Amino acid sequence: MFNTTLTNATRFGRAVNLATALGLAIAVPATAMAADKTLTIYTYDAFAADWGPAPGIEKAFEETCECDVQFIATDSSIGALRKVQLEGDQTKADIVLGLDTNIAEAARETGLFIEHNAEVSSLTLPTGEWTDNTFLPFDYSYFAFVYNKDNVAEPPASFEALMAMPDDFKIVIQDPRSSTPGLGLLLWVQEAYGDKAMDVWKSLAPKIVTVTKGWSDAYGLFLKDEADMVLSYTTSPAYHDIAEDDQRFASAAFDEGHYLQIEVAAIVGSSKNKELSQEFMQFMLSDTVQDIIPTTNWVYPATTTANGIPEGFKKLHLPETSLLIDGVEVEKNRTAWIDQWVETLGQ
Amino acid sequence: MAAVFLLLAATLLYQLATHPDSLALSLGPRFTRTLYWTTVQATLSTVLSVLVGTLLAWALSYRTRFVGRGIYIALLSSAMVLPTLVIALGIVTVLGRSGWINEALQWLEFSPFDPFIFGLSGIVLAHVYFNASYVARTLLGRFESIPVEQRKLARSLGLNAWQRFKMIELPSVSGTLPGVSITIFLLCFTSFSIVLMLGGSPKYNTLEVSIYEAIKLDFDLGRALGLALTQLGICAVLIILASRLRKDNRLISAPSANQYQIKDSTMLAGIQHMIIVLFGLIFLLPLIAVITDGMNANFIKLAGDKNFLRALSTSLIIALLSTLLVLFSSVLIAIAYATLATQQRLANNRFSQPLLKLLRFSSTLYLAVPSLVLGLGFFLLARSVGGSQTLWAVFALLTSNVLMVLPFAIAALAPAMVKSANRYDKLAFSLGLKRWSRWRLIESSLVKPELIYIASLAFCMSLGDLGVIALFGNQDFITLPWLLFQKMGSYRTDEAAGIALIMLAITLAVFLLLPHLFASKKAQTEKGYHAEA
Repeated sequence: MFNTTLTNATRFGRAVNLATALGLAIAVPATAMAADKTLTIYTYDAFAADWGPAPGIEKAFEETCECDVQFIATDSSIGALRKVQLEGDQTKADIVLGLDTNIAEAARETGLFIEHNAEVSSLTLPTGEWTDNTFLPFDYSYFAFVYNKDNVAEPPASFEALMAMPDDFKIVIQDPRSSTPGLGLLLWVQEAYGDKAMDVWKSLAPKIVTVTKGWSDAYGLFLKDEADMVLSYTTSPAYHDIAEDDQRFASAAFDEGHYLQIEVAAIVGSSKNKELSQEFMQFMLSDTVQDIIPTTNWVYPATTTANGIPEGFKKLHLPETSLLIDGVEVEKNRTAWIDQWVETLGQ
Repeated sequence: MAAVFLLLAATLLYQLATHPDSLALSLGPRFTRTLYWTTVQATLSTVLSVLVGTLLAWALSYRTRFVGRGIYIALLSSAMVLPTLVIALGIVTVLGRSGWINEALQWLEFSPFDPFIFGLSGIVLAHVYFNASYVARTLLGRFESIPVEQRKLARSLGLNAWQRFKMIELPSVSGTLPGVSITIFLLCFTSFSIVLMLGGSPKYNTLEVSIYEAIKLDFDLGRALGLALTQLGICAVLIILASRLRKDNRLISAPSANQYQIKDSTMLAGIQHMIIVLFGLIFLLPLIAVITDGMNANFIKLAGDKNFLRALSTSLIIALLSTLLVLFSSVLIAIAYATLATQQRLANNRFSQPLLKLLRFSSTLYLAVPSLVLGLGFFLLARSVGGSQTLWAVFALLTSNVLMVLPFAIAALAPAMVKSANRYDKLAFSLGLKRWSRWRLIESSLVKPELIYIASLAFCMSLGDLGVIALFGNQDFITLPWLLFQKMGSYRTDEAAGIALIMLAITLAVFLLLPHLFASKKAQTEKGYHAEA
């Protein structure tokens, strides 16, 4: 018996040594790799995914920059901004990519971002000239509910019609606090219905299966048939059509018009690679990147490239009325509107 | 332990002083509603868990001989350590709008049911899944320790099942139920990952999820602080109330060897069998769903995924370190507890009772300071002190894991230590055995089953927890639950299913097999010990 306990004690000792060694091993940051410069870009998961725009952009930029481009995915677009705020001085981010004009003012107020000084004359946005020297647009699309034609024979043609659908007609949406599409929908309803916006939400509430943190989880639930419609973009059906040769998906055209989203990127002020970051920002508007975007991010490019937009995009529903609230106006009301929204859904 | 608590409270209060507007913010109508729904949810979860658990324990205590009873009960015990996120995933596969049950209904040409898995019903269902098993496992031990004679007597008096339950079974658990109920209430009140995943909308947010959202979605640290302090206050009050109610401090009881099967009317036996089979099915289906979903995953691709390998090794190492820390601190606390609680030592000292109370309170600390509050404390500390965030993350994670397991570890170990003190103190004093040699010679073998149980508990709970890591996780520091949560969130359902299966396999293997591996050795050493004695 004495012997057994003794061996056990030594074994225990060894285990402790091993554990300490292993513990030290994980504490050493895994990113201490040898590369001249690393350009770190925080973005939302769908952008950084294998099938998203990031791998193509990374490869193209690395060919010219003699640097290592790292896309870091967060679970939502606004999540990327919050991550930089959370990390404070210690953030590794050089660029935050994937915010939109609705959240840009909130981002500007954090004082974390600096000017990009990019040449923007090539932009061909539906809103016309671009004057913001902190946030640089790189693509745009319109928010819309996407459905599967096999499951939904007659999609609602307006918010009114959606509200009138029976309650077992389910939609999945994103959280306006974490996701730019979620915020977009909030503003869409706000712009279309003004003072009556919360009444719209009240009648939509029973139809909402769940409110997800980001676009990807919502779209995933929709594809798993957990909902009849998902908040996405007028351009999303192009993915199924072009990449999967699947023509079952379409976006529901709403009479009230569709809210426009312009996606932007910005340079983090604490970046140690400011010049490189500025080069990258300009690169985002190059034909190379702008040609990658439509068939990887499934939205419209921000410039008109020599190749133009892919054939499949021409079939898509292009909203006659495009809605957009001025960014400053959004920021004035954003917190109040979100609080009301949380309250309304919480009743 | 108490020091950690005080330090944390001090940090939070200090931060509150520098964010004076946080309390005003947190006391709006939105906050009252959060509190209201959380209370409703936790009450519902607790009542249902206790009802279902009691019913199951009752059925199991009568049906003592059926095939697979041992495995059935072992699985029930494992519910406590099953990773919540993994089970929630399994529940969605079974009960989702296009889940198994609905497909079966459609196949049988019934109309499918409306989705109910997101929202209050989903949260309560998942809570009952975990906690009813826990209640059943705890009460079964009580029911089984009812003397056979009592049952025989009741039978010969011709009492019916309800009368017997009222007169025999209920009194045997009346000391246990209030404590168990309050523990479950607190766990559901501070539930995080289940609410995060199945909540559906901000409506049913718990305070924990609100804290998470205030930090991660709004970056409103003042609000997060206000919420954290409110939760701290509510839970502390509940725990103090609970410590008055909890006469019987054992959260888990050891299985006993009562194998007497009472002959009952076939109808009653039928009902009991039905309860057992029904609950078994409800319990097993999500597990089977995780396994079948996971089987389709591409494990070769997963094995080549750098992030997965890093998460796996980080999780294993963290779980191992947490296990060692839990073992160490629970042994120390249990020794102190035994010293203060036994007559031959210090029980008569006038400082002992208050100290004992403090010790009991600090061992249930986790229930008052759930992971997100703790995480926030560490987060604020890290911001004001500075230093590597990864190191802070490791530190926060280890602390949270240890605090999470301690209530259960102490509950298992303290009675055993008291027993050992009562039995061997005289012998040890007379032999002049002190500290380490005494521990080595007496306690280490005497409480070995408890230690193994605590080790497997600590390992599994640490491996599966999604709490602090939700605040501290980043590209340099990921654990398996965090990776799973991210994969689930980015519609990599295939990879998520693979990770879920691996987590389930590790947990079940460690929790079900480890005690057996050591138990056989233990039986041998015990034999040897008796031979020497």
